Formats: sequence, C-alpha cells, structure tokens
Amino acid sequence: MIHRITAGRRVISKGEVRSVAMKKNQKIGLICSHGGHFMELLQVRDAFEGYPTFWLTYREVSTSNLKDTYYIANIGKSPVAFIFGLFKILFILLKERPTVLFSTGSEIAIPPFYFGKFLFGTKLIYLESCAQIFRPSMTGKWVYPITDLFLVQWEPLLRKYGPKAKYVGGLL
Amino acid sequence: MIFVTVGNHFQGFERLLKKVDEIAPRIPHEIVVQKGYSKYVPQNTKYFDFVPASAAMEYIQKSDLVVSHAGMGTIILCKEYGTPILIFPRREKFREHFNDHQMEIAQVLEKRGDKNIYIAYEENQLEEKIREGVGKRGIAQVENRGRENLVRTIKEFIETFQG
Repeated sequence: MIHRITAGRRVISKGEVRSVAMKKNQKIGLICSHGGHFMELLQVRDAFEGYPTFWLTYREVSTSNLKDTYYIANIGKSPVAFIFGLFKILFILLKERPTVLFSTGSEIAIPPFYFGKFLFGTKLIYLESCAQIFRPSMTGKWVYPITDLFLVQWEPLLRKYGPKAKYVGGLL
Repeated sequence: MIFVTVGNHFQGFERLLKKVDEIAPRIPHEIVVQKGYSKYVPQNTKYFDFVPASAAMEYIQKSDLVVSHAGMGTIILCKEYGTPILIFPRREKFREHFNDHQMEIAQVLEKRGDKNIYIAYEENQLEEKIREGVGKRGIAQVENRGRENLVRTIKEFIETFQG
C-alpha cells in the first residue's frame, strides 16, 4: 500500500514535469476513414488542442480539401490499394514520427497501429464507433490487444472486450 | 427543406430512395437527396452522390427534417444541431449493409425515446413519419456530457502517460 502511494506520487510528479516538456515533443496522428468515423473524430478533437497533429484518411469526396491531411486510397477496396496503402502509411509514420496515434476506425487504423506499436513504440488510443452497441467491430478486435487506451461508447460492449476496455460515455 | 441522406456506405439504399421519390410530389417541402452508391435516380427531387463533409453538415444544420439511414455521423450531428431526424435502418436481408447493426441502433434509440428522433422500419411508414417530424426543431445541444467525458479521458491519458 505504502509502496503504491509512493510509486504513484513519483509517477505523478515526474509526469507533471515531463508532460510540460513532452507537450512540445508530442505529435498526434489522427486516423479515420471517411463518413461517420470522420464525424466522430471531429467530435472529440478538443482532446488534441495544443498538440501538433496530422490526419490520415481516405481520399473521398467527403474528405476533400482538409488541412494537414494525408490521403490514401481505400485499403479495403483492392489488394493493390492495400499494398500501396501500407507503404504510404509507413512513409507517413517515418516522416511525422507521431508519439500518439488516435483512431475512431475503421480498418484504416489497423496498419498504422501495428507499425506504430512495433516499429516506433507509439502510444495508441482507439475509440470504438458509437455504431457498435452490442458487437465489437472488426477493427476493434484487431487493435484491442495492442491499444493503450481502448474506449467503447456503449456499456454492453464492455463485456465483449476484455478488462482493458473503458466506458466513460458516448457521443449519442 | 428535407435532406435525405444514405451516407458513404458502399452498398446502395434503393428502398429509401424509391419511396422518397414516390412521396415527394405529395410533400410541400423541397427535398434534397444524397444518394451515395445507390443506383436509383430520383425523378422528383434534387439529388447528388456525395459532397464534402462540411457541406453535408450545412445541409443537416439547415434542414427542417433529415431522413437518413442509421448512420452515426448524421444522427450525432442532428442531435447537436437540434434537427429532427427520421431514421430508416439499412437491412442485411436486402443487401443494404453487411449486418443488422443499423436495426439495433434504431431499436435502442426508439427505446430510449430521444426527442426529435423518429424511427421507421417499413417503407410504408415513411410518409406519415415525415409529416410528423418535419419542422419539429429541437434545441441545439451545445453540451454533450458523453463527449466531454471522452475528451477529458483522452486528454488526461495523453498528458499523463510515461513513455
């Protein structure tokens, strides 16, 4: 007990010092496919205020002309698009060197999350879509094991994931 | 104006478009249809396939009613803007989606009884529900506790994690 409190304190005080220093050094990659996933990411973008960010999304009419955005073709549509997408994602991560990746899905999150985790030690945050009430999404199942903060938007979904999943509320 | 939207899903949503087109001449409102990947071409309304998200948001904000598939982007925005929405879920059995999660969304929302959210499960309910919902504007929801909790949780995580 005492050990924990001491340890907790130490981490917090270190964190306070470090967080100031890291705020400048942190860079956050915001990843989502178009449509609802994009709208959901917009809803929580206040969380990234003050940090340098860049976006990664699909090149579609609905995502056209966005600032600070990298575009890839929909990797779910063809094997060629998938392979090209992987290379481009790797290139983007090498260039931007994000410290945190955040995604609201869908499958566009899977390659950067795995590259980020295993090649760059990036911290990963995933927000499961508000559309998933009772069933985990395919992307959620893929990224759950490697994600550092995993949020769901409906309480019944907690049981379908493991103890790491968190519910603090939903957008709807 | 009534804005009908089927979102960005790769499958079409012909049932909704056909019925809206049939109803359109009887409804005394301008109707604009975002038809997405649907094949059906509306004869009685304005329509387009896709627009930038900012334009879609403007349509949703200005509409007297949004008629939509159970897509989360649209539902969340309607709630935020106070725009009434009539939800008509895509069904797996008609190959409108790859599972029936839109049905689950509609049922959960119906049970919860959110204001200004109307649900239709069958095409023949659409006309009546459109007439019921049009113009029933609610109060724009500036604050959203769920959203604030999510933002705070994400923010705190970024601030406190030790690399």
